Amino acid sequence: MGSQTSSSNRILGIEDSSAIRQQSIFHAYKPHLNARDELIDWNGKPHPHCKTLVDSIGKLSSNEFQDKRSAADLAFVTQGITFSVYSDCRGVEKIFPFDLVPRPVEGKEWTRLDMGLKQRTKALNLFLYDVYHEQNILKDNVIPREMVESSKGFRREMIGFTPPGKQYIHIVGTDLIRNPEGEFLVLEDNCRTPSGVSYVIENRVVMKRIFPDLFKNIKVKRVEDYPQKLRDALCSVAPENSGPNPRLALLTPGPFNSAYFEHTFLAGNMGIELVMGSDLFVHNDRVYMKTTGGPKRVDVIYRRVDDEFLDPKAFRSDSMLGVPNLFNAYLKGNVTIANAIGTGVCDDKAIYLYVEDMIRYYLSEEPILKNVPTYICSKKNDLSYVLDNLEKLVVKAVNESGGYGMLMGPFSTAAQRSEFKEKIKANPRNYIAQPVVTLSACPTWTEEGLAPRHVDLRPYVVSGTDTWVLPGGLTRTALVKGSLVVNSSQGGGSKDTWVMETDV
Amino acid sequence: MISRLAEHCFWLSRYIERAENIARLLEVNQNWLLDFDIPVELQWKPLLIISGIHDYKGNLDKESILNFMTWDHENPCSIVSSMTQARENARVIREIISAEMWERLNYNYLWLQSNTAKDLYDNNRYELYNQIKRINQLLQGIGESTMLRTEAWEFYQFGRHLERSGQTARILDVKYHMVQSNPDISGSNIEISYWTSILKSCSGYEPFLKHANIIENQVGNAVAEFLILEESFPRSVLYCLKECLNSVTAISYQSKSKISNRTIESLKTLNAWLSNQETRQSIKIQLHAILTKIVDNVHSISDSMTSTYFDFNPDDHVLEMNEIEKINS
Repeated sequence: MGSQTSSSNRILGIEDSSAIRQQSIFHAYKPHLNARDELIDWNGKPHPHCKTLVDSIGKLSSNEFQDKRSAADLAFVTQGITFSVYSDCRGVEKIFPFDLVPRPVEGKEWTRLDMGLKQRTKALNLFLYDVYHEQNILKDNVIPREMVESSKGFRREMIGFTPPGKQYIHIVGTDLIRNPEGEFLVLEDNCRTPSGVSYVIENRVVMKRIFPDLFKNIKVKRVEDYPQKLRDALCSVAPENSGPNPRLALLTPGPFNSAYFEHTFLAGNMGIELVMGSDLFVHNDRVYMKTTGGPKRVDVIYRRVDDEFLDPKAFRSDSMLGVPNLFNAYLKGNVTIANAIGTGVCDDKAIYLYVEDMIRYYLSEEPILKNVPTYICSKKNDLSYVLDNLEKLVVKAVNESGGYGMLMGPFSTAAQRSEFKEKIKANPRNYIAQPVVTLSACPTWTEEGLAPRHVDLRPYVVSGTDTWVLPGGLTRTALVKGSLVVNSSQGGGSKDTWVMETDV
Repeated sequence: MISRLAEHCFWLSRYIERAENIARLLEVNQNWLLDFDIPVELQWKPLLIISGIHDYKGNLDKESILNFMTWDHENPCSIVSSMTQARENARVIREIISAEMWERLNYNYLWLQSNTAKDLYDNNRYELYNQIKRINQLLQGIGESTMLRTEAWEFYQFGRHLERSGQTARILDVKYHMVQSNPDISGSNIEISYWTSILKSCSGYEPFLKHANIIENQVGNAVAEFLILEESFPRSVLYCLKECLNSVTAISYQSKSKISNRTIESLKTLNAWLSNQETRQSIKIQLHAILTKIVDNVHSISDSMTSTYFDFNPDDHVLEMNEIEKINS
């Protein structure tokens, strides 16, 4: 009886949907005129590796798609997967807007990216070892010495110190963009404390919940193993004196930090302690945490606190987030800090220009991934070009991230441009400029149905004694028509990134 | 576990328990006042007194007080404040409580802020308070079947039972403050109705009838005895304090703390005092004094938990750390 009813319901369901069959959400979709579309080619046909995906999602009517969207949003809200924006008042939380149309990456394209990212990370790590030891790359004039020494992220205190396993950058988030020709370019390196990986995993979890059938037909590489991979990598570079089972802790600035959800998520999924600076202390150059059972030694600290705030005795003395004498314990080799202190020099957007040279210099290889052409305002010729062509360029402050401190020339007002002109002239070392690259676009749900919106991609590279790249990464999407700024702090959203297991 | 996170577990459960008990308190007062003519300004004041609110400047009518105790974010003792605090504590330790507990609490917190909850308040207040009570019950149930039985669980249980023992004592003390401000109401017809409401607010009406030893004309005494001393009733003061003792004993064992534990000693002393015959007999004549002593002790036990487990002073552990270093080198 029961089964009969449900099967007849199923039949009714099919009949209903064909009776009121609405047009596919892709019906009226028009790819962007100048950008490469990640799903649909110029003729309006899906790329071969996107066909199954477009066909499956394309079966949905706009109402059905809306229902799925509400279900996804509700899942994020009840799980409290939210972030707070600094300019908002304390405690105000927003969900990171999530778009249901995934962003696919072809399997063979990914293989190239994977190799390129490993190559780049390897060179950056060798560069860090070099600038904090022999400084050969400076002596050989591949990179101007004053460029490195004037970088805010360069830490003289690290000179002569070798972190466990010679590993400086355990986690790198590399921002990639794809130009209209379909080539992936590196936009910036994040070697300090890159964030966002929890969204990669949670986006996948929610997608699997909302579209279980899609994953049966399309084989997508798993992203859920990231926390274990990171844990293993960090254990592999624990200090030698930490014994067979090193104790790991994630150091967070605390619940009011905009990435606090991510900190709890990672600590929980790595099975390690989540601590604030006040939970740790240093005794005889060893780091302990304060537990209900007394002091317990900590061997590896995955810190989500910036260099300057790590140790009020060594760096900023007004920091409430750090641990006094932590830096001493570090220099004594009693604790691994990930990422190492002083990696910010790689994030300097003027140093970025030289990463391709680093690859050639250290690895004697040609870079697999190219940079976006960059003008360095501290170079005289570059400076005058930049000042004369502001309306064509994107200007960025060298140490900022998150879309802060930048000027999008083509979208700026005359007043903004003259303001930036003054800023650049006053401190040229602090600025770089790049031509505007029209980022690739992806069908994204908007008030007018599916429409192309620009996207970038941040893969995560994890290194201990080996290097592993999370297959996929965070696809950030601008939600405003025509906007090329995808940062969440500037109102962007995200998508699930699908690295195809096999190509069609 | 990390001392700070243990403290969040402890306060998380206290705030959820508190929200439940405020709902119970508001309900009981509302119910028993239906039967009697008591001057408006005296009806609700006792409730503020037992909640420790002495600087309330608003109106003393029912709607004002219910609004103040349910919705006022400025009032640290309101339901909405307690739920906000609970959720803030839970947010900090969301990787320690189970994901299901966090999701449920977060859902309920959002529900309480929504128009659905406001509509329920306007149209079916009884149901609103029922739902608020259910939040704690649900979370306890989810925790029961999902949370690791480690220290975090014991701190959670400890906080819950400590809060409940204090709240049960407070609910029992309403009458004292009511009579203090209005001697006329101590008549016997009020008694039965009043004590029935108290029992109902503690979900104890039927258990009481099944279990208690009722001597005619001494209903009040029997109810007080039941709610303070009945060891088989999970909301009685003694039951809760015994649970606290179990939890802190488990914590002491699991954490392998080498620090002497004042909390265990205080709980043993308090429980022994409650269990002795003399205390039982003095309930009849000195109820308010006994309840005051219970509430004061709950405070000092909370303080001693803080100094034993939550405030960590490295200087107390130097010998231990030297030991650890010896083993490692």
